[in-house]
Amino acid sequence: MDPSMADLNSPHSMGTTIIGVTYDGGVILGADSRTSTGMYVANRASDKITKLTDNVYLCRSGSAADSQIVSDYVRYYLHQHTIQLGQPATVKVAANLVRLISYNNKNMLQTGLIVGGWDKYNGGKIYGVPLGGTIIEQPFAIGGSGSTYLYGFFDQEWKDGMTKDEAEKLVVKAVSLAIARDGASGGFVRTVIINSEGVTRNFYPGDAFPLWHEELEPQNSLLDILSSSSSSEPMVS
Amino acid sequence: MSKAAVDVPMKGGFSFDLCRRNEMLSKKGVQPPSFLKTGTTIVGLIFQDGVILGADTRATEGPIVADKNCEKIHYMAPNIYCCGAGTAADTEAVTDMVSSQLQLHRYHTGRESRVVTALTLLKSHLFSYQGYVQAALVLGGVDVTGPHLHTIYPHGSTDTLPFATMGSGSLAAMAVFESKYHEGLTRDGGVRLVTEAICSGIFNDLGSGSNVDVCVITKGQTEYLRNHQLPNPRTYINEKGYAFSKKTGL
Amino acid sequence: MSIFEYNGSALVAMVGKNCFAIASDRRLGVQLQTIATDFQRIYKIHENLFIGLSGLATDAQTLYQRLVFRHKLYQLREERNMKPETFASLVSAILYEKRFGPYFCQPVIAGLGDDNKPFICTMDSIGAKELAKDFVVAGTASESLYGACEAMFKPDMEAEELFETLSQALLSSVDRDCLSGWGGHVYVV
Repeated sequence: MDPSMADLNSPHSMGTTIIGVTYDGGVILGADSRTSTGMYVANRASDKITKLTDNVYLCRSGSAADSQIVSDYVRYYLHQHTIQLGQPATVKVAANLVRLISYNNKNMLQTGLIVGGWDKYNGGKIYGVPLGGTIIEQPFAIGGSGSTYLYGFFDQEWKDGMTKDEAEKLVVKAVSLAIARDGASGGFVRTVIINSEGVTRNFYPGDAFPLWHEELEPQNSLLDILSSSSSSEPMVS
Repeated sequence: MSKAAVDVPMKGGFSFDLCRRNEMLSKKGVQPPSFLKTGTTIVGLIFQDGVILGADTRATEGPIVADKNCEKIHYMAPNIYCCGAGTAADTEAVTDMVSSQLQLHRYHTGRESRVVTALTLLKSHLFSYQGYVQAALVLGGVDVTGPHLHTIYPHGSTDTLPFATMGSGSLAAMAVFESKYHEGLTRDGGVRLVTEAICSGIFNDLGSGSNVDVCVITKGQTEYLRNHQLPNPRTYINEKGYAFSKKTGL
Repeated sequence: MSIFEYNGSALVAMVGKNCFAIASDRRLGVQLQTIATDFQRIYKIHENLFIGLSGLATDAQTLYQRLVFRHKLYQLREERNMKPETFASLVSAILYEKRFGPYFCQPVIAGLGDDNKPFICTMDSIGAKELAKDFVVAGTASESLYGACEAMFKPDMEAEELFETLSQALLSSVDRDCLSGWGGHVYVV
C-alpha cells in the first residue's frame, strides 16, 4: 500500500495534554485541541473535555475511539443513576464508573482519563483514571503525552487554596507550555470550570499564548518575517 | 449444530470458516488477495441552510483503476447521506446495514431519522470490529435539530466539524477548505468549494480521480448531483472503432 | 505468489444492444503447469443469467454449489427466476459474510433483466460490487483485458459483432498471460 496512507490508517489518537486542578470552591479542567492520526492533524479543534452529567466532566486522552466509548457508556449509566436517585450523581460515583469500565476492559482499552466535577457532599474533586484502571483522588491530575513536560512545573506551582482565577491561569499556562514542547499537543486551550454555581467553558486561541523559550511571534506569511526583520538580507534559495 | 447441516440464510454476522485454511496458505508463502479499495477523496461541509457532501469516483485495486465512475456517496435515509472511503466492500456493507436499521427505526417510530442515530449505529459497529472493518466515513444530514456533519474513523472514533475531509486525498482537500471555508456559505458557494476540494484531490492524489459527485441536503430536500463535474473526459476514441471479420477461430 | 495466480484465469463480460456476452479461457493450471485445457469457469444459473468465477478453482466450485443451492431455494419459494441485480446482491452477501476469511474468487455476473436489459457486474473477493455500463473483467489476464476492452468496445453492438469483439479481446489478452489460455468459451445471450 501507499506508504503515505499508513499515517491516515493508523488509529485516531489524541496525543494530548489534559489537566484537572482543584481550587478553593471547585475544579478546573483543561485540555489542548489536537487530534492526530500518525503525523496528520485530523482535527485541530476537538473537544476533549466531555460532559458526563451537569456537574461532572471528563478529560480524555489516548485512543479517541476507546475514550469516546468509555465516556458514552458512563454518561448512559449516570443518566440512569440520576433518574433512579432523583438527584445529581456525585463525582465519586462517576469516577468509579469510569474506573470500572477501564479496569474490566483494560486489555482492550488504550485510554487515560481525568474525571472532575463538583457535588454538594464533597465539593470539587479530581480523580485520575490512568491506563490500567486505577483510580486516584488527587488535588491535581495531569495526563496525556504532554504531561511529561509538566510534572515538575506542577510540583512547584500548585498551591493549596488557590482562587478560581489563579487556578485557571495555572491551567492555561501549563497547557500552553506543553503545547510548546509536545508535538502531539497543539491548537488552542479549552478550560471547563465547575463549582457550586455551575459550569463555565472558556477557550484561549493559540495565537494569544505567551511566548515561551525560543518561540517566534505568530506570522501570517513569510513576507511578514522578511519585512519586520532588521537585516534587509533577502531570502536566497 | 443446525447451521452446519443446512446451509440456509444465516441471521447475519461474519463467518470465519475459511480463516484457518487461508492462514495456512499465507504461512506457506501465498499472498492474500488485495481488495477493492477506494483510495479516495471525500469531503463535507456545512453551509447556511444545510450540508453538502462530495466525493470523487475512482475505485482502485492495487495500482489498477478498477472502476472509473463508481458511487461513493451512499444513501442512509432521505435526509442523511454518507461518503465512504477505505475497503469498498466494508463501506458498502456498513452503510447498507445501517440504512436498513434506520428504515426499520422509522417504520417503528414514524419520525424522520436523526443524524446522531446513524452516527451511533455506525460507530458502535466499527468500534466492535476494532478497526478491522476498514470504513472511513463522512456522515452528513439535516434533521429536526439542524444540519450535522461528522467524520467516523475505522476504529470507531467520531468528530463533529463544520467541514471535513477523509481518504487518501484528504490532505489536498483539507488544504482547500482551510484556506477558503467560512461560515454562512451560500448553496452555490458551498457546491463550488466542495467541487474545488474534490478536484484538488483528483488532481493531486493518485488514489483519487475521474469525476465529482455532490450531494446537497437542506431541510426537507435532498439533491444528489451525480457526476456534477467531469474534469477527466476520455480524450481519444477511435472513430471507426475496430471491426473484425465474422469468423474467430483457432 | 498471489493466490489468484495459482490456477490462472481470464474472464470478461460485455454489454451489447439487448444482449450481453460473457467469456472465459479454458485453462486450469497449477502455477505454470497446465492441468486441464477444457475447464469450465462460467456457470449457468438460469436461461438469462451466467456467473463466471475467477481465482482459486476449488473456491470457485464451492461457491458455485452454494449459489446454485440458494438460487434453487429462491425458485421454490418465489416460483420465478432471480433477477440479475438480486443475484448480484446475493453473491455479494455470501462473499462479504466471509470478510475475514474470504473465498479466493472474483466473480463476474452477466444477465438479462426485465425487457432484455443487459446487466453486468464484477466484485472483489469480499463482495464489493462494481457495476459497469460497458464491460467488466477479472482474473490473471485482467490487466491486458482492461486495455483490450477499453480500445475495442463500442456501445450498442449487435450480438454477432459483440461475439467477435469479445472473442478478439479475450484471445489477444490471454496471449499475453502465461496463466490463462487454451482458447475460450463465449456465451452470447
